[in-house]
Amino acid sequence: MLIDYYPSNSFIHSLDVRTKILGFFIVTVTAFVFLSPVINLLLVLITTLILLSMRTPFNKVKQIIKPLLPIFLIMLLITGFTYPAEKFQLDVNKQILFYLMPDNTLPFSTGGIFYGLTLTLRILIMVIASTIVTFSTPIEDIIQLMQKMKMPYQLAFVIATGIRFIPTMQKKSEMIQEAQRARGTEFGNKGLIGNIKGYIPVLIPMIVDSIRMSENLAIAMLNRGFGAYKTATNLHEIKMTKKDYIICFAELVVLIAAIWANTENVGVM
Amino acid sequence: MNTGKLERGSVIVDLEKYLYPESSKAALKKINFKINKGEFIGVLGRTGSGKTTSLMLMNGLIPHFFEGDLTGSVVVNTMNTQRYRVQTLARFIGLVMQDSETQIFGITVEKDTSFGPSNLNYSKEKIKELIKKSLSLVGLSGFEKRITTELSGGEKQRLAIAGVLAMEPEIIVLDEPTSELDPSGRAEIFRVLSEIRKEENVTVIISGHDSEEMLDFADRIIILDEGEVVWQGKPQDLFKDVFLTEKYGIRPIESAEISNVFHNSNSNDSKIFLHSEGLIEYLKGQLENYSVKNATHKVSIFPKQKKTVIEAIGLSFGYRKNEAALHQINLRINKGEFVAIIGKNGAGKTTFSKHLNGLLRPTSGQVQINGRDIQSVSTSELSREVGYVFQNPDHQIFSATVKEEVEYGLKNMNLSKPEIEEKVTRVLEFVGLKDYQDRHPFTLGKGERQKLAVASILVMEPGILVIDEPTTGQDWDGTKRMMTMMKELNQKGHTILTITHNLRLAAEYADRIIVFSNGKVVLEGTPPEVFSQEKILESASISLPESVKIGKSLFELGFKSGLITVNQIKEQLLENLSLINVN
Repeated sequence: MLIDYYPSNSFIHSLDVRTKILGFFIVTVTAFVFLSPVINLLLVLITTLILLSMRTPFNKVKQIIKPLLPIFLIMLLITGFTYPAEKFQLDVNKQILFYLMPDNTLPFSTGGIFYGLTLTLRILIMVIASTIVTFSTPIEDIIQLMQKMKMPYQLAFVIATGIRFIPTMQKKSEMIQEAQRARGTEFGNKGLIGNIKGYIPVLIPMIVDSIRMSENLAIAMLNRGFGAYKTATNLHEIKMTKKDYIICFAELVVLIAAIWANTENVGVM
Repeated sequence: MNTGKLERGSVIVDLEKYLYPESSKAALKKINFKINKGEFIGVLGRTGSGKTTSLMLMNGLIPHFFEGDLTGSVVVNTMNTQRYRVQTLARFIGLVMQDSETQIFGITVEKDTSFGPSNLNYSKEKIKELIKKSLSLVGLSGFEKRITTELSGGEKQRLAIAGVLAMEPEIIVLDEPTSELDPSGRAEIFRVLSEIRKEENVTVIISGHDSEEMLDFADRIIILDEGEVVWQGKPQDLFKDVFLTEKYGIRPIESAEISNVFHNSNSNDSKIFLHSEGLIEYLKGQLENYSVKNATHKVSIFPKQKKTVIEAIGLSFGYRKNEAALHQINLRINKGEFVAIIGKNGAGKTTFSKHLNGLLRPTSGQVQINGRDIQSVSTSELSREVGYVFQNPDHQIFSATVKEEVEYGLKNMNLSKPEIEEKVTRVLEFVGLKDYQDRHPFTLGKGERQKLAVASILVMEPGILVIDEPTTGQDWDGTKRMMTMMKELNQKGHTILTITHNLRLAAEYADRIIVFSNGKVVLEGTPPEVFSQEKILESASISLPESVKIGKSLFELGFKSGLITVNQIKEQLLENLSLINVN
């Protein structure tokens, strides 16, 4: 997830990591301020447009959303049936479409389904907004931000190296699984306990290999002078530019406007 | 020996002994040598002879990281390693290790190269300059923004070299940096190193098993055996002495091995040649006006059955859409054949082999094993017919004893206890691990672990064995042992498919060679047939073994055609020895 950075020359890419993270929070807060699916739908549209403007592959977003689809459906059904219709402020939402059981039990209300829609749209907004941040921000920038927030250099290094090793470990695990499958191991059809047992032939070589790798890593770190001094030079420093200040200001305006609009009963249900 | 003056870039080792912690056997003893600034030193010796340990000694990892018991002194760049931290020494002596993966810290090439100088708190401007210079020295200019995990093995290893170069060391130490690389990656590393030495006057100390490169690039060779320095001298003197290389388990140079047939009868060793060109020249001079007598070749043709066991029909495969890793492969392999699959990295060799036991499934076309389309047959079911031995034995070993490890495959097959017992005993005896059966696999040496990996596949009695790069990273003894084992298995009736970069072994052992390039089979045939197609091999980035070149010239001199292995050529030359010795 954190290594999805995709290089591009888009406007979003040129922004500072802090501007983007602030933007992410403000979009999320705005989505939670308004109950109405209309406004949330608008936010989905805006974030999607921003994402498209980055000219990055859209497949990853699809990959994240696809497994969520059944959950979205379940949410719509549950809220549709369970949300008490009389709690809504607008008449249209109080309308009951049908009853699942005879004698007016388990009513399915318009408001309920709208409420479910809002919940799913909020998740969608968060997925898209976080994708915008991860696609457009190199991990170094995020680590730098953490260092600016007084995280020690050593810890930042550990996190960065950990992330760097995710693809390596994935590849190792694939190679080990292949080696075991070639010996007749079958994964994933023996029930829960059987599955856990089935993965022991993968886990043990994985652990042994990790221990060996961590020793080599320690040697390589010393060898590259890690710990020679308490700090290390940052080759590339994150910097807020004029552009960033303008966008941050705009973001705050949106936040305040959203909160004000909410107190004025905009976007209620 | 240690009278040399202390100067920057020099290494003076004067060691009585060194023992690893909790070890009673000295890993190194009586190590004495001096290396001067700007020298290119090759460190050779068997696996386990103490090469790595002696290199770790130089940058202070011993005794600072690996503590143990050290008697003696090591002075590097005028600094006694016992008195300085590894991080301090790292500014003057850089170490590159075998496993490129664990030496890369950055997500991008640029970031990784900056790791060393950043740790030294250099200014940003200086670091940028160092990155530029180091990447250009290793031939990675323009790679700055590339993601490190997407580099090839050779590129990763060159990046590791750039990483230590960026700290402007006086000395670079490389511990078997080429053992996981293909021939072109290996050649590139040596080329880069000799360039660096020339440009920066850096001392280079490299260990490994690359005899040809050591001969061409090293100024001096140090041989270790059982923790001792047993020989030091010019590479030419080492490789001319075939008995010496044999004694210390060093792979001989083919030309020297062949010209050694002249050695016994004539004490003048000027007739030992280290390059095929010289030998060919000499033979031409000697044989030009004589008619050559061809020895009756003792070919041992095993009656090969004509039953097809593997058939690929129009096999294509892509890891991603619109990107074919394999393109329309049509192959037929008969029962009992010994087939070598060659080709440079990424040519599709492993991708093809993984289709044989269903680890990969064709995008189009089909694979038949023993006449059956395997499209819907599971890998676990196929494991009884096709055994697949992977390159790294540590990727499959997980049991607490050797015996349990071998039993594992049989347990998956639901066999009875006595049946399992009997099969395991038989296989352990065959690979020579019977005495180790209750040992923990990780207490075994690399060679033994490889045997164990083979045993654990063999026990399922598959008729077909796919063996992926069995000799990569092995020393010469290990290589020979592995190949002998494969030959024995072949003689027992197993069909053998091996993926290899070792052309010498392909020439010597295979009945048939299949050449892959860009996902296609570009050539197949018997070793002499394949090696006669120089143009096609060149386009597949495969260069001819020295013995093949010599064999070709012999043909021009009137010898029979198809001489490709060292032994075949030696046999022919011995037959004509009188002719050569007359002059």
